[in-house]
Amino acid sequence: MNFDLDENQELFKAAVERFCQGQDVAARRAARALPGGIDRARWKELAELGLIGLAAGEDDGGMGGSHGDLAVVAQALGHAQAVEPWLECGFLPARLLAGSSHLEGVIAGDTIAALAFAEPGRRFVLDAQGVKAKGGKLSGTKQFVLGGGAADVFVVTAEEDGKTALYVVDAKAPEVEVRPYPVADGGVAAIVTFHDASAEGPLAADLHAVINEARLMAAAEMVGLAQRLFADTLEYIKTREQFGQPIGRFQVLQHRMVDAYARVESVQSAILRALLQPAAPMAAIKAHVAENAIWVAHQAVQLHGGMGMSDELGIGHGLKRIVLLSKLFGDPASDILDYARAA
Amino acid sequence: MDMDFSPEDLAFQKEVRAFLDDKLNARLREGAANTPSVFTEPDITREWQAILAEKGWLATSWPVEDGGPGWTPTQKYIFEKECAIAGAPSLPILGLRLVGPVICHFGTPEQKARFLPRIISGEDYWCQGYSEPGAGSDLAAVKTRAERVGDKYVVNGSKIWTTHAHHANWIFALVRTDPTVQKQRGISFLLIPMEQPGVSVSPIVTMANDHEVNATFFDNAETPADNLIGEEGQGWTIAKFLLENERGGSCAAPALLAKLDRIERWAREEASGTNGSMIHDPNISQRLARLRLEAQAFEVTELRILAELAKGRPAGPQTSLVKLTSSNLRQAIDELAVDLFGYDGLQLPVTRPLYGNEAPEYVGSRAAQLSMPAYLNGRAYTIFGGSDEVQKTIIAKQVLGL
Repeated sequence: MNFDLDENQELFKAAVERFCQGQDVAARRAARALPGGIDRARWKELAELGLIGLAAGEDDGGMGGSHGDLAVVAQALGHAQAVEPWLECGFLPARLLAGSSHLEGVIAGDTIAALAFAEPGRRFVLDAQGVKAKGGKLSGTKQFVLGGGAADVFVVTAEEDGKTALYVVDAKAPEVEVRPYPVADGGVAAIVTFHDASAEGPLAADLHAVINEARLMAAAEMVGLAQRLFADTLEYIKTREQFGQPIGRFQVLQHRMVDAYARVESVQSAILRALLQPAAPMAAIKAHVAENAIWVAHQAVQLHGGMGMSDELGIGHGLKRIVLLSKLFGDPASDILDYARAA
Repeated sequence: MDMDFSPEDLAFQKEVRAFLDDKLNARLREGAANTPSVFTEPDITREWQAILAEKGWLATSWPVEDGGPGWTPTQKYIFEKECAIAGAPSLPILGLRLVGPVICHFGTPEQKARFLPRIISGEDYWCQGYSEPGAGSDLAAVKTRAERVGDKYVVNGSKIWTTHAHHANWIFALVRTDPTVQKQRGISFLLIPMEQPGVSVSPIVTMANDHEVNATFFDNAETPADNLIGEEGQGWTIAKFLLENERGGSCAAPALLAKLDRIERWAREEASGTNGSMIHDPNISQRLARLRLEAQAFEVTELRILAELAKGRPAGPQTSLVKLTSSNLRQAIDELAVDLFGYDGLQLPVTRPLYGNEAPEYVGSRAAQLSMPAYLNGRAYTIFGGSDEVQKTIIAKQVLGL
């Protein structure tokens, strides 16, 4: 038994850390403020480090990283509070576009692709209904398209003959209407309407399998985010003085931090279990990680006091990214209910 | 033992309902409903304040001789409750509920004559200078220095989390007038005009994208010595009076219950994607039920404190329980709203306001758009006005004798 990262995983982790070095609150905010919420030069840099190609198969020009390799990247990005939507616009398209001509551009960081899966009024249902494919054309509306404000192409779930199929649509086509809107983590999502838009496909990828992997990656990123919030809060209560002493000397805060520590350890173990036992229930594990990460994030805000509320610190950014990831492809309540019913 | 209002109180309730029905226009209702932050913006509150002032129902916690309506604690409660149910905007409480009662209680006749009418008219808009970067939970550690020079005070230092300082023309501040004595005894309660070169305000945007609070800096700011409330060194006593006065006679439960009613309505309209509306979702419906039971019990806790006040008994430190309970309930309710709306609950508008013509477009519904900023902004409920940890320490020491 061995839970250490292997040599390559250490390299991926170090690459992410180098990539994120110096990305303070001001730098992250500046990136978010760009049109579409993505700094394309940084995105290209991320791609050149091989971090997008890692998610694509070797036959498709990628590096064929394992789930473990990819989770290390997701967790490191979470720990660094990276604003680059690696999960949404890197991992997901690299998986879903297997065999597509668009994959090369995605791996190179030249093409930004966004997955359009959510439909108005359908909550977390993954099977498409509102967008329909007919004769290679798509019609209908998607929402909560993460990275949708910056996307060059959309990977779209569409109903075709009663089944859900995946298509690729040029985001700049005149038949595609994009309405960007800001979301919790500071990113830009979009409502996207297709008016008989030409589409390539269907793609060969197994949507449900890839979404399950994405849940694992979302959970790994939340683990990194929770660890970072925990570390920052620990440091803060050791240095913040009130009543003539560091507030970390107060037993109530010590015990609170121990509770947070126990939860951070629990989510780290949960993610390892998901990685090492391929039959593990990904959605339920993501729910477990999410609920504990949210608790840790709430405590991080509380223990930072007013400073935790301010947008000047990364604490709120961490909370908001965790909240967004907690609901991606299902929220904790729905995932735990599904798990209970399946058991 | 009974929980009924007297016939007089019921008649009063009817009068309040008729008044709210008549005076709460669509703009005010929309402004109140679509404000995700703790404080409603002055463009809404000023209009509502003027309507209440005309009726004589504005300064409800002030003595009659200072402009209060002369209500019993029960009448105050009924008014608050009906306002919450009707969805009336909140008021600029920093003047009306915080510094106003302090001036009524500790002010000289000259100070009362000078400041109280202008709070009622809305001519003065107040903010509070309590916390400092080094004095949060440990409020008595305030360092902002006020030195008596002739017939004025010269103030240097900084305050933080000054809510609506960017709208205010006056600040009431805890300042250190004597650095040589025990820390509580060297504090004074001073009123300082904001519109002068020595005062500057810099915005602090919250993670909810709201600009509600600020940092306020004093660089040789001046205020006439007449603007000291009480005596030098009496500031800590006055600050405690202000806090207890604010917490006593609270009426938080009706607003919480009204929010739960709204969430239930939204749940009936929100599609589950699989099986009708979200009202049938086991998680949402159980949380709604639990929070309702808690809020209904909390309403009775507030009524029990009210009954004590009505008998002329003072509200003691157990009012900390009210702050603690209402803050945590509020946060749980706001979380429920976010969770109700699925992906739509994850939109987070960057601009304000979320009412009127300038409101940004929403995805799904306005209620969904409000849920995330309200949830994020509401994380402050357990921090401001004495954090949960501070309230628990007060209860442990002063109620439980630990």
